[in-house]
Amino acid sequence: MFTYLTRRLIQGVIVLLAVSFVCFIIFRYMGDPVISMAGQYATAAERDEIRKIFGLDQPPYVQYWRFLTNALHGNFGISYETRLPALGLILERIPASAELAVSAMVFAFTVGVGLGVLVSVNPQAWLSRAIMAGSLGGISIPTFLIGILLIMVFAVQLGILPPFGRGETVKLGDWWSTNFLSLDGLEHLVLPAFTLGMYQLAVLLRLTRSGMREVLTTEYIKTAWAKGLSPARVVFKHALRNVMIPVITVAGLQFGDLIAFSLVTETIFQWPGLGNLLLTSLYESDQPVIVTYISLVAVFILTINIVVDSLYALLNPKIRYG
Amino acid sequence: MSRRKNRFLYDFLRDPAAIAGAVIMLVFTAAAVLAPLLAPQDPYDLEILELGDSLKPPAWEADGDPQFLLGTDDQGRDILSTILYGLRTSLSVGFSVMLLAGSFGVLVGLLAGYYGGVLDAVTMRTADTVFAFSTTLLAILFLGLFKQSGVGIVILAICIADWVRYARTMRASVLEVKEEAYITAAKATGANDVHLLLVHLLPNALPPIFVIMAVDLAAIIMLEATLSFLGVGVPITKPSLGMMIASGKNYIYAGCWWLIVFPGATLVLFVLGLNLFADWLREELNPRIQRSR
Amino acid sequence: MRTKTLISCIGLILALSGGLFAIQPACAAPSLVVAVESAPKSMNPHSENGDATLGPMTNIFDGLMQRQKTDGKIVPALAEKYEHPDPLTWKFYLRKGVKFHNGNPFTAADVKYTFERLTNPEVSQFVNDGKAIASIETPDDHTVIVKTKDPIPWFIDNMHQVFIMDKESSESRSEGEIGVAPIGTGAYKLTEYVKGSHMKLEANPNYWEGAPSIKNVEMKFIIEPSTRFAALASGQTELINGVPVEMIDKVKENKNLDVMRRPARRAIFLVVTNRPGTPTADPRVRKAMYMAINEDEIIQKLMRGQATAASQMVDPATVGYNPDIKRLAYNLQEAKKLLKEAGLEKGFEITLAGPNDRYVMDKQICEAVAKYLAKVGIKVNLDVKPKSIYFTEVMENKHDFYMMGWFDGTYSGARTFFRHLHTIDKNAGYGDWNGSRSSDKDIDQVLEKTSQIVDKTQYVKTLQEANKMAMERVRVIPLHYQMDLYAVAKKNGLQFTPRPDQWFVFKDMSKK
Repeated sequence: MFTYLTRRLIQGVIVLLAVSFVCFIIFRYMGDPVISMAGQYATAAERDEIRKIFGLDQPPYVQYWRFLTNALHGNFGISYETRLPALGLILERIPASAELAVSAMVFAFTVGVGLGVLVSVNPQAWLSRAIMAGSLGGISIPTFLIGILLIMVFAVQLGILPPFGRGETVKLGDWWSTNFLSLDGLEHLVLPAFTLGMYQLAVLLRLTRSGMREVLTTEYIKTAWAKGLSPARVVFKHALRNVMIPVITVAGLQFGDLIAFSLVTETIFQWPGLGNLLLTSLYESDQPVIVTYISLVAVFILTINIVVDSLYALLNPKIRYG
Repeated sequence: MSRRKNRFLYDFLRDPAAIAGAVIMLVFTAAAVLAPLLAPQDPYDLEILELGDSLKPPAWEADGDPQFLLGTDDQGRDILSTILYGLRTSLSVGFSVMLLAGSFGVLVGLLAGYYGGVLDAVTMRTADTVFAFSTTLLAILFLGLFKQSGVGIVILAICIADWVRYARTMRASVLEVKEEAYITAAKATGANDVHLLLVHLLPNALPPIFVIMAVDLAAIIMLEATLSFLGVGVPITKPSLGMMIASGKNYIYAGCWWLIVFPGATLVLFVLGLNLFADWLREELNPRIQRSR
Repeated sequence: MRTKTLISCIGLILALSGGLFAIQPACAAPSLVVAVESAPKSMNPHSENGDATLGPMTNIFDGLMQRQKTDGKIVPALAEKYEHPDPLTWKFYLRKGVKFHNGNPFTAADVKYTFERLTNPEVSQFVNDGKAIASIETPDDHTVIVKTKDPIPWFIDNMHQVFIMDKESSESRSEGEIGVAPIGTGAYKLTEYVKGSHMKLEANPNYWEGAPSIKNVEMKFIIEPSTRFAALASGQTELINGVPVEMIDKVKENKNLDVMRRPARRAIFLVVTNRPGTPTADPRVRKAMYMAINEDEIIQKLMRGQATAASQMVDPATVGYNPDIKRLAYNLQEAKKLLKEAGLEKGFEITLAGPNDRYVMDKQICEAVAKYLAKVGIKVNLDVKPKSIYFTEVMENKHDFYMMGWFDGTYSGARTFFRHLHTIDKNAGYGDWNGSRSSDKDIDQVLEKTSQIVDKTQYVKTLQEANKMAMERVRVIPLHYQMDLYAVAKKNGLQFTPRPDQWFVFKDMSKK
């Protein structure tokens, strides 16, 4: 286990280096940030001066090396657009994104797994068939379309839910602000959380169902039935527990998807989170913010991956990592 | 072999959902291929477009124009025609990625599964990492950073991550097939590697790939629409369902619902058709689960 | 099992219907909520020489001068008066008894500090203006004497947007703090700022002009036009700028809303190269392209009437505007004839580049232009992309035919002409924005002549002459001037007049 973890960590570092290096290579093809930094009235000489100050006249490998050494000291550079530390810009967006993602996942998980169980226990009922058809619809509608349709119905036609932003937030401590503690905040959360959760919900529902169907036919469950245990006990205690391991693993491994789709959702609902920041920064060629974002997301995804894999190995004694 | 085929057909004809999926697939594909013949107007022939025709509602509405069945967009383009041409873009991206990423992934999976060792370790660790980052996220980042638009670049961006699905599935399938008696027998008779790989392993390990292909095509089409919606996909001179919806979004409050509803419905229906078919195929090819009656 | 599903179902329904039963939160309602189309880059008042930042900042900071709300005339603010004894010297007499939000008194040292800070490109986009200054003297706490390196007739015209910072607190705080917690002398103090989302302001009771009448203001930054409009229609804001033109009919239909318009200074035009070897080197071809574009239809259909046709690249308020220049009329026959004369009756291929996130309907206008030119046989390939990459490419001379929108904050046409029309001359700093590498020695000569002219009337006349030459030779194809569009919710009795600089100055607003 220990050697396995070390190996994974080394792999992770290699991936991080590769990811950030690729970013730097691609930056050569991006717009020149100096033009927007200097403003429309700047002369060519002033633009050159800015280029020098920010080290943009250096070859990419020098810039890359400087980025790496600075990043190791926790300094991710100054955003070209706002002239503020890039790391700070990203950290202050975390509460908004985290709350949206958590709400969406809680919604997707409870409803998705719940319906998945319902459907697998009684697959022939018309309700089950309707739910399955719905879940197929759920994975067939792209997230951005769900968002737009919800805005069209609930904000434009009915006018009952706000279509953008976080609304009133309540401050918790120094840097966390929450949507959960005000009615206005909760209202603002409904449409984006639903949009983001919808796809995950359908995926989880289908995963639970296929897992349950496999487990329910095993000897082990048949024995449980034969022993005359109550249906609830069989389904929840014996069957569902076995199904949850792969379901959680898959959910954990699809964190990249969650980040990607929250990017789309935040754009549609102008949610002041990380995804929104990234897209704006991409349009503005704000390189320090983009690299910081990508590096942090990479660290995050790799960590989740290692944790999920290790947990899986611990829970499932059949798998051994040398 | 032929008994298996008959069973396929028999099962297929008994499943209305599968038939519906297949019909949708065929109809939409045909519509896309025949778009130049079917579409009332070539929406990208600049000479015939008139700004005077812009934002007309569907023909059956009060201000509708019978010339434009589903209405027009802000440039006076016929929505129906643009949808048909947009499907062409979706499909050409979808099939290109499927073929490019698919063949690369199958090849990698085949070699990794058969030879194992360092090759296997390196490719599968790479695949794990790419998978963790998700195709969607990688494509958005790549295109957002690259900022050059073009159908080719979109295809490339999706391929960067998409081959992984095929490689993993193929590898798993090869590992299973490899142990079967006829392969060991073929090996014992001294067949060379190329022969073994191409004649014995590849065809027998391929069935799971078919399921992946159908699911993948649906996913790629959704992804292309998402990318174009975000403004990092195909250039504005190419018709795209995602872009139609994105520009329709500006008119949401102006009541121009047809700009979003028609391309949106087309996209969903097409993807739904593919998923229905894929669902059926998956169950058909999965030996562990009995088909529900 | 059933109960569990039931519970999740109820949960779902509750979550969905949460909005139905919700009532407006009883939070301390700010007395004015506005939504604007762009977010400030930071709370550092020099971080951007553009209205997105300067507009909000004018409420928190003051300049030595300010602009009057209706006509934009420059009048005293932190300076009670100024003198301009010789072309290089500007002497400011500062207002006494003014205090910064932190209680520090406002003195000459703060002005000197601010002007020096301008030259640092790490924190300022006013480097140009800062470096033009040769020396700053402060004979006493309330007098500042500035000497410029060269005569700059428009030096004073810039003083409304160079916001004075507090020396003491700026030197003692990091740039990171300055960028989020501004300390100015302005009519409002900042109470909350969430980057890219909103800022909240509270009236400064000790303001030197007297406390403003609106006590609390919230400014929301909503970039997406349809969302901004939704915020107004749903009553979440009372005033918005940048009403999308596609929504203008909707706004007019709505009895609760008022639309306010004011012609904007920005002109939109297409730059087309005259470089030898290109098809557009022949002025007849450029003229044909000009005549093939149906600008009236663009204004009617794309801009929904919210624009006025332009005949040149500067607006009437700009020095150098020439009222004698008339637009060429839309005429397909004439355009085809001109192309034939130039030997290009079979047409040619050209690429039109433009941004898709910068000007009103920019992408759609490019598409329409491609459409019009197709009708005279010119095949136009569109190359439309985000502004960040587009403007880089223009400056790297990658395009021969491209869209541009321009106005100069100092009202100087000379600056515009030297940048866009003059042959590129890196040493003299001419032709910085001449992306198409066009060159016309006659125009260069006339422009250079203006630098030598002392007489004001003669100066203006010569600039107008250069302008006329450029337009006769179709160096650019002018399209239109945009319109500033605002919408106000009627019910709250908000008194608001659009300003020429597009800023929201809350101290000038009130409620009935």
